[in-house]
Amino acid sequence: MKYHKERVISGPGVEGAEFAQALRGLAVDAHDRLYAVGDSKVVVFTPQGKALKTWMTERPGFCAAVSPDEKIYVGEQGQVQVFDAEGKLLDTWRDEQRMQLVCSIDFASDAVLLADVGQRCIRRYDKTGRHVGDIGRDNRMKGFLIPNRQLDFVVDAKNVIHACNPGKHRVEHYSLEGKLLGRFGRFGGGSDPTGFTGCCNPTNVALLSGGRFAVTTKAEPLVKIYSPEGKMLALFGAGDFDPGCKNMDAAVDSTDRIYVIDTVNLRIIVYAPDKPEASTDGDDRKAGKP
Amino acid sequence: MKEKPTRREVLKHTARGVAAVGVGGLGFYLVKKAGGDNVWQIDVEKCVNSKLGVHGVEVCDLCALECVLPLSAVRAVNEYSKCGRCYICPAYFDIKSAIDDEGLPSKKLCPRDAIIRKPIGWIDPDDPANNFYEYIIDDKLCNGCGKCVMGCKEPAGLSSIRLEVRYELCLDCNRCAIAQACPDEAYVREPFQKREVDA
Repeated sequence: MKYHKERVISGPGVEGAEFAQALRGLAVDAHDRLYAVGDSKVVVFTPQGKALKTWMTERPGFCAAVSPDEKIYVGEQGQVQVFDAEGKLLDTWRDEQRMQLVCSIDFASDAVLLADVGQRCIRRYDKTGRHVGDIGRDNRMKGFLIPNRQLDFVVDAKNVIHACNPGKHRVEHYSLEGKLLGRFGRFGGGSDPTGFTGCCNPTNVALLSGGRFAVTTKAEPLVKIYSPEGKMLALFGAGDFDPGCKNMDAAVDSTDRIYVIDTVNLRIIVYAPDKPEASTDGDDRKAGKP
Repeated sequence: MKEKPTRREVLKHTARGVAAVGVGGLGFYLVKKAGGDNVWQIDVEKCVNSKLGVHGVEVCDLCALECVLPLSAVRAVNEYSKCGRCYICPAYFDIKSAIDDEGLPSKKLCPRDAIIRKPIGWIDPDDPANNFYEYIIDDKLCNGCGKCVMGCKEPAGLSSIRLEVRYELCLDCNRCAIAQACPDEAYVREPFQKREVDA
């Protein structure tokens, strides 16, 4: 499978859609609208990259996620803010202890899951904001190994959590109850691109159709596609990003387009598959059908 | 036979001696005040090995090569409060080398093998990735070549390693050979600034 660079969204000088200091999180809704979070604002883009609207967040945002009922959750330091699609603030979940820095959010059937960098684990909340339990903390390392201070995960339609454990150079699969179900990935040197290099990779993960994974790495900043079993299917992005990029969040739309943040140049690079390989039905992506 | 000095003469000589010492001390104090508190040090934000945002360049090893001492007065230090205690440390391993049977890089980065790697606490025998590792730089072996500093630089690492002058060795030369050779003007003589040193 092959991907090509389709376009660049946002970036310095793009009026109304410019991030000044940080661009950290991406999410795509069921209509393929792109939500970009950085500085202390959310910018909504059309799939073609036109900015539709902007609203402010109370604190700098580190991630975003769109729930099945089309609420936009923004992860911040010490809290999560919940907005409607128009940017109206609906709720704020504050928990300074369990949400020291929320850098990833996703949803399961009855749960809202938050990645907490402070305690290096995934927090499970119910939909009212009540803490139910933790995932990835019940091990001898007392959490994920994230020296790069980035913990990213995604949940598939079977409620399986796929989380990057960059210090172990793995993507790990967990049940909602926190049981480790499996993993893929290993350290790979310069001559082995199928593995992950550096101190801590991969840093971010997104879910494609067919249960495939798009992951991003730092030093060198790249995008890689893996099968559900962990076989590398594609590698691209070399030269597209500033070499200093790290923790590049990725999001996927219903056509398997991959949106990736250039965290240094504060812009979003869009990759499209050379041939449509997936259904345009967004539910198919979530279902992780082979 | 020499006559015994009178009390007056003893007092006169003593006063002269005290005055001479006083003038010398004052001169020393003034010289020290003018520049004596300045010491050679490395500006990590200018040193190409540690300067963030500089990628794809060769390691600069002039601190190791230019110092007039047999073992350079510059060494690498690991700031443990920043260190990730990683399983694969890009300052310890040559991460581009071939993978060995244990799944680790087969070569080390330090040409003098000056970094010691050891797991902390109870060791997981089944999964070596399940441990934290401590990286200690052997001061007697390190010659400040900067390779580990470049290897640890963000985003590949966490920038916990930097170069530093070891004052117990530095001769404080007025015309320091390293400073003259440094292309980035990172080797500077300025008032001493205490940085966290825990290596």
